[in-house]
Amino acid sequence: MTTLDDTLAALADPTRRAVIDTLRRGPRRAGELAAHLGVSAPALSRHLRVLRRAGVVTDDAVADDARVRVYRLEPQPFADVRGWLDEVEAFWVDQLAAFKAHAERTAAPAPHRAAPRRRPRGGRA
Amino acid sequence: MTAGPADDRVRVTIAVDVPVEVAFDVFTRETELWWRRGPRYRNAGDAPGTLAFEPRAGGRLFEEYASAAGRQVHVIGTITTWAPPHRLAFTWRARNFAPGEVTEVAVEFAPTRRGTRVTVEHRGWATIRADHPARHGQAAAAFLANLGRWWGDLLRPLQDRGPGPHFPK
Repeated sequence: MTTLDDTLAALADPTRRAVIDTLRRGPRRAGELAAHLGVSAPALSRHLRVLRRAGVVTDDAVADDARVRVYRLEPQPFADVRGWLDEVEAFWVDQLAAFKAHAERTAAPAPHRAAPRRRPRGGRA
Repeated sequence: MTAGPADDRVRVTIAVDVPVEVAFDVFTRETELWWRRGPRYRNAGDAPGTLAFEPRAGGRLFEEYASAAGRQVHVIGTITTWAPPHRLAFTWRARNFAPGEVTEVAVEFAPTRRGTRVTVEHRGWATIRADHPARHGQAAAAFLANLGRWWGDLLRPLQDRGPGPHFPK
């Protein structure tokens, strides 16, 4: 069970964001991640633990060696945060729809301007 | 209507069949009449009250309502740009924002052949700390702001594709 707070806390660290950035391109072994990011194995291990607990990444053993873990991203925590942002958007969508309904109900319509038709050619500035 | 978040901002656009001058006036002077009611839209919730701009530069956007604790006045923000009939901007603070945490709403009224195109952009989430405790829609956007483009790049493909080749089960 993870929460948005866990996700946000997990992603508040630049190294962990770099881990995610790397995993966007596909699953990686822990050793590959450490080498790619230039961090020590113990440090990376701590970061991966935070990310696992937050449900941001999951790890699996490779078929031929149970000691080697392959990490990959879990999409759901990102979908949760995205959904949160969508609420802000939905708020303004609702408000503007209400604004439009009120404005068009109570105000005179815009005069349809006889906009000068742009001639296909021959127009002169 | 079009809508979409981009980086640290949420932007929503709608076409309204009234002239820009009317759109601006209705937006700023009849706010109480069109602003939705209920806990999702007002601090007053369903309680009777008013929500209004003081229609001038430096004016406030505030709510006034009765509660069990008596009369409440909540200032949502103050007007930072007052340029009728084309532009309006005001600060926006949720009740649970800490001092110094402030976002801004910019509203543009652009004339079109049929009337007005109104665009609301709610931005400035970078001022909000990433671990904002509020379970509030705005906090998520704040977090997105802190991560900037990196975050946007990450979210779009995730949302577009969902679980797929990148997330083998």
